[in-house]
Amino acid sequence: MKNVLVFAEHRQGKTRKVTFELASEARRIADALGGKACAVVLGSGAAQLAEELRSYPLDTIYVNDDAAVDRYLLDPVVDYLEAAAKAAGPSLVLIPNTLSGRDVAGRLIVRLGAGIVADVVEVSVEDGAVLCVSPKLGGVLVTHCALRPAEYGIATVRPSAFAAARGGAGATLVALEPQQKTYPAAIEHDVEEGATEMALEEAPVVIAGGRGLGGPEPFDALLKPLAAALGGAVGASRAAADAGWVPYNLQIGQTGKTVTPKLYIAVGISGAIQHKVGMRASGTIVAINKDAAAPIAEFSDLLVVGDAFRIVPELTKLIEKAKGNHS
Amino acid sequence: MKIVVTVKLVPDPNAEKKINAQTKRLVRSGVETVLNPYDEYALEAALQLKERAGGDSRVTVFSMSPEPLRETLRKALAMGADDAVLLSDSGLEGSDVWATAYAIAAALRKLEFDILLVGGLTDDSSTGAVPGALAEHLGLPCVTNARKIDVTDSGLQVERETDLGYQTVHAPLPALLTTALTFGEPRYASLKGIMGAKKKTIATTALGELALELPVGTAGSKTELRSFAPPPPRGKGRTVEAADGTTGAQAIFEFLEEKKLV
Ligand SMILES: Cc1cc2nc3c(=O)[nH]c(=O)nc-3n(C[C@H](O)[C@H](O)[C@H](O)COP(=O)(O)OP(=O)(O)OC[C@H]3O[C@@H](n4cnc5c(N)ncnc54)[C@H](O)[C@@H]3O)c2cc1C
Ligand SMILES: Nc1ncnc2c1ncn2[C@@H]1O[C@H](COP(=O)(O)O)[C@@H](O)[C@H]1O
Repeated sequence: MKNVLVFAEHRQGKTRKVTFELASEARRIADALGGKACAVVLGSGAAQLAEELRSYPLDTIYVNDDAAVDRYLLDPVVDYLEAAAKAAGPSLVLIPNTLSGRDVAGRLIVRLGAGIVADVVEVSVEDGAVLCVSPKLGGVLVTHCALRPAEYGIATVRPSAFAAARGGAGATLVALEPQQKTYPAAIEHDVEEGATEMALEEAPVVIAGGRGLGGPEPFDALLKPLAAALGGAVGASRAAADAGWVPYNLQIGQTGKTVTPKLYIAVGISGAIQHKVGMRASGTIVAINKDAAAPIAEFSDLLVVGDAFRIVPELTKLIEKAKGNHS
Repeated sequence: MKIVVTVKLVPDPNAEKKINAQTKRLVRSGVETVLNPYDEYALEAALQLKERAGGDSRVTVFSMSPEPLRETLRKALAMGADDAVLLSDSGLEGSDVWATAYAIAAALRKLEFDILLVGGLTDDSSTGAVPGALAEHLGLPCVTNARKIDVTDSGLQVERETDLGYQTVHAPLPALLTTALTFGEPRYASLKGIMGAKKKTIATTALGELALELPVGTAGSKTELRSFAPPPPRGKGRTVEAADGTTGAQAIFEFLEEKKLV
């Protein structure tokens, strides 16, 4: 492991913030290892994203805009990533710890014979070895794990763990040779649900609703206005997603998304361990709950014991008024 | 149809967890071992597929675990799995994700299946990398996060959850699937199921039968746990009782002002 290779995740050409975070972090790690910082961009829209990435401090960007990437489930991605890793040479591969990132990483450990550390929030280099910090056991422990010296190693990195910083002289673009044309698992439909303007993982403020909201309406009537006033996005507990009140892609927690906004407001959420692991690293946690003894009391900075239906609209008004005064 | 479900045996997710400072392993004593919750959901999906397919369909559960945990697999048999296979060997101790997937894949090669159902994530280590790694080793199509599975003449028709919504995917059999948690709560074992489970077989496999080319266990692992510590304490925050909406809203607003968040 001498170089660093970033898997530049994007969704149908829409760049993900985590990609820029990884590109910036890759530079720092590569410098510590005395190697190159590289990225690989795939699928339709790749050329444009590669151009965007050139304002980050990378040495090389591997590109292929093969449409197969959008037609087949990850197989072509894994092929291209393997090819890019081999082109980049012995490297630490950084992959966003997202639903698809995890799938890619699992397959790549076999292709590259690589060790993996998951959900990494800090990376350091000591005597040429790569050390990764990651929370485990639902955040009960923070582990320091070394990738043993080998040609390749993989870290799946938590979104928002690193800051994105532009800079650099404009990386060299290298086209990857086209891979095989067809694969077994074909995507027939790709449907976006509950599309939000801001990706939940990237939102600076998250307003999350739970079973305490009692139905789908309060998500629109109560949470959306509050999120809009604070410049944030709406999320949910699994209980709310299970009830069909919101689509699953708004779910936060172990089986949903991990978020680390500077402000997290939990509305009618009890704070079960599986929910907690997805949000406990948030900057400030505020909870509104009828029950003073709800588990969330143990890890929120402020718990307001009361009825969300009464508190949230008033709070939204206060914030809107304050914003009005400022502008 | 033959279905294999991989099941990790994990410390009760709701129990307090400790690590032995010397061995750097999880303290298992005093903490009940259970089926990894995600794998229970996968098993539920497998049992539903078996019921729909009918005929001589079978569900086998597979686990790589220390031998003393063997009886925990009975729960899966009581829920309705037909038999179980346990890969157990002291040589597997200390295996990391790579070594685990390598060993499991070798053991699975000895089983026959149309569908391999894997949990999305383990509750204890939570890498979510094992499913993809197994698919690579076994050369299977890998469809993760399935929320609806239909078996057709030409293979599998799957609806899967994505970060943005969902996709429908077609894949030939045999295939590896991981399931979302949308197949309903895992069923309880009935009394009849529990009685029946006592007569079902849990076959054991040891490393010697797998003829692995590469080392596993601590020696075969590519990562090494160096140290661990509890996260910095968050400190218990404030609690404010809000008699009405206005007091509650005011309390939050002032707190956000204090934190410079508004
Ligand atoms: C394998 C597995 C994976 C899981 N993954 C996740 C996950 O990723 N994310 C997740 O969130 N959960 C997950 N869960 C579920 C988790 O265990 C909890 O069941 C879930 O988080 C509870 O959601 P909730 O807090 O909305 O509901 P509840 O626990 O029912 O809490 C509702 C809260 O609302 C409060 N309330 C009620 N009315 C009001 C009101 N008017 N005003 C204010 N407060 C009110 C109540 O006091 C209560 O505390 C998982 C579970 C399993 C087994
Ligand atoms: N030791 C094991 N025995 C059986 N299945 C396992 C084992 N480890 C992982 N798995 C399977 O792989 C899934 C994902 O595990 P992980 O990648 O460790 O989060 C689990 O939900 C299990 O289905």
